[in-house]
Amino acid sequence: MKKVSIYRPTTVDEAIQILSQHGSSASVYAGGTDLLVRLKNRLEQAPSYLVDIKKIDHLRYIKEDAQGGVEIGSATKLAELADSRLLQEKYPMLVEAIGKISSPELRNASTLGGDLLQEVWCQYLRGGYSCWRNGGYLCYGAIGDNSHYHSAMGGRLCYAVYPGDAATALIPFDARAKLATPQGEKELSIEQMVPGDMLVDGKIQSHVVRYNEILTSVVIPPPKPGVRASFEKLRPRGVWDFAMASLAISLQLRDKTIEDSRVVFGGISGKPYREKAVEAFLKGKTLSAELGEQAIAVALADAAPLKYNATKIDMAKGLLASGLARLNA
Amino acid sequence: MQTIEALLLEPVGCLAEFPSAPFHEIAVRLFGRKRKAGSSASQAYWYLLNLIDASKTPFDAEKQSVAEELEVEAVDAASIYEDVEPAVTELKSMGIRLFVASSLSRRAAMRFIERNALGEYFSGVCTRDDAGGVKSTPILNVLASASLPREKTMFLTDTVEGIKVARSVGVNPILMMNDPDEAQRLAMHNPAGGVVSLHEMPDFIRLIAAQNQRS
Repeated sequence: MKKVSIYRPTTVDEAIQILSQHGSSASVYAGGTDLLVRLKNRLEQAPSYLVDIKKIDHLRYIKEDAQGGVEIGSATKLAELADSRLLQEKYPMLVEAIGKISSPELRNASTLGGDLLQEVWCQYLRGGYSCWRNGGYLCYGAIGDNSHYHSAMGGRLCYAVYPGDAATALIPFDARAKLATPQGEKELSIEQMVPGDMLVDGKIQSHVVRYNEILTSVVIPPPKPGVRASFEKLRPRGVWDFAMASLAISLQLRDKTIEDSRVVFGGISGKPYREKAVEAFLKGKTLSAELGEQAIAVALADAAPLKYNATKIDMAKGLLASGLARLNA
Repeated sequence: MQTIEALLLEPVGCLAEFPSAPFHEIAVRLFGRKRKAGSSASQAYWYLLNLIDASKTPFDAEKQSVAEELEVEAVDAASIYEDVEPAVTELKSMGIRLFVASSLSRRAAMRFIERNALGEYFSGVCTRDDAGGVKSTPILNVLASASLPREKTMFLTDTVEGIKVARSVGVNPILMMNDPDEAQRLAMHNPAGGVVSLHEMPDFIRLIAAQNQRS
């Protein structure tokens, strides 16, 4: 394992100061289920300084806000989200999605912030290949085995998929992220925070959080009346593994008429892929048994599969049909 | 890698899908080789360049005419990749100097540029006729005439030969990964980098600049 020095700040300001001091050779350490694997594998991009935020108060909570929404501290464990009665009552689809992340053991350690900002799980990166995210200038996934963890929707240098499920499930609720920065607090939508492969501080990463910024909480607005939502996930194994394709869908209904919707695919692109063509198609339609087949016809027209992963698109379309069928049941 | 200032492009394999048959035909008619089938246009082209290079003598007028005719036939049948125009537009706006450094004849190279309306994007064009040789000769000619720093220059290629030629003259060989299986094999030859599509070049160059700025 790569040798590291660990800081244990007790305030967010102190943590930001340390991160600013060390530049991109430092990284936030919370659950460690992603970070420690990168260190163990001695990846070029793994940090030399860890800023352990577990001692900071007020980063681990789930609370209802004054508007009837919910705010979740970024260091809250995924298992705590999965067990939350408040979340189950207000956003059952989110709880379902969290329950499908990895395994119970890892959910006990992983945090919401870590899931949202995790590194991609491309086997070439994790295997130490000198790729775009590991000190090199070539994507081995684009030319190698891309059947599981690579994009079927094009790429931007790196073709690995964004692996997190929490972001996919939070976007339909229009959730927002709060970041502490050296200039003060900053707020972004989850979509804005995880826009896919970005060049940030001289690195390629899936999110736009800079080296000296800390994700402090996620705020979910109050549930809208008449909303039904569903989360579907296909993965190579029943536990542990990442999505080959997933879908978070929410429909705002008046009787059976769809007034608004959010359709977000995971596991097929470098970001949670919001399919606005399907959202536009669904608007004003009556929720029915036939709607799934019709929606499939307009879904993922921009697909650009690699050599071995066209099946991901079929999977994603299948999830769309089953998701709509489930909401119609 | 140092911050990149210039990009050298060989149209065959990097800017357009060429047919292989005209290049095979030149090898048959001018070098007495047997007709080959099945290899890509880039492989046929670089095979031909090896023959030209090994012959050590320039084409006489008759051979030059045969080669030109067949190369023009190849150019006329080539389909430019759809990402070329937006990519070169962006690269030029970033201040990256673009050059055609080609082992095609001047007539064929200029026809390619005119046919695809690419003239405005290039700071210079050097062909085998201008340079008096193939493979590394046009590259060296561009480097000298435009005073390009080699370590800040990239040469885009999709063949082993192209990688070796770029390395031999000190520029960064960048693999154009047109075919995944072929690219997997070529990646073993230690290119300085690789792109799936030309549209990735602007981000590639920005990333290097950002990394150098950071360090």
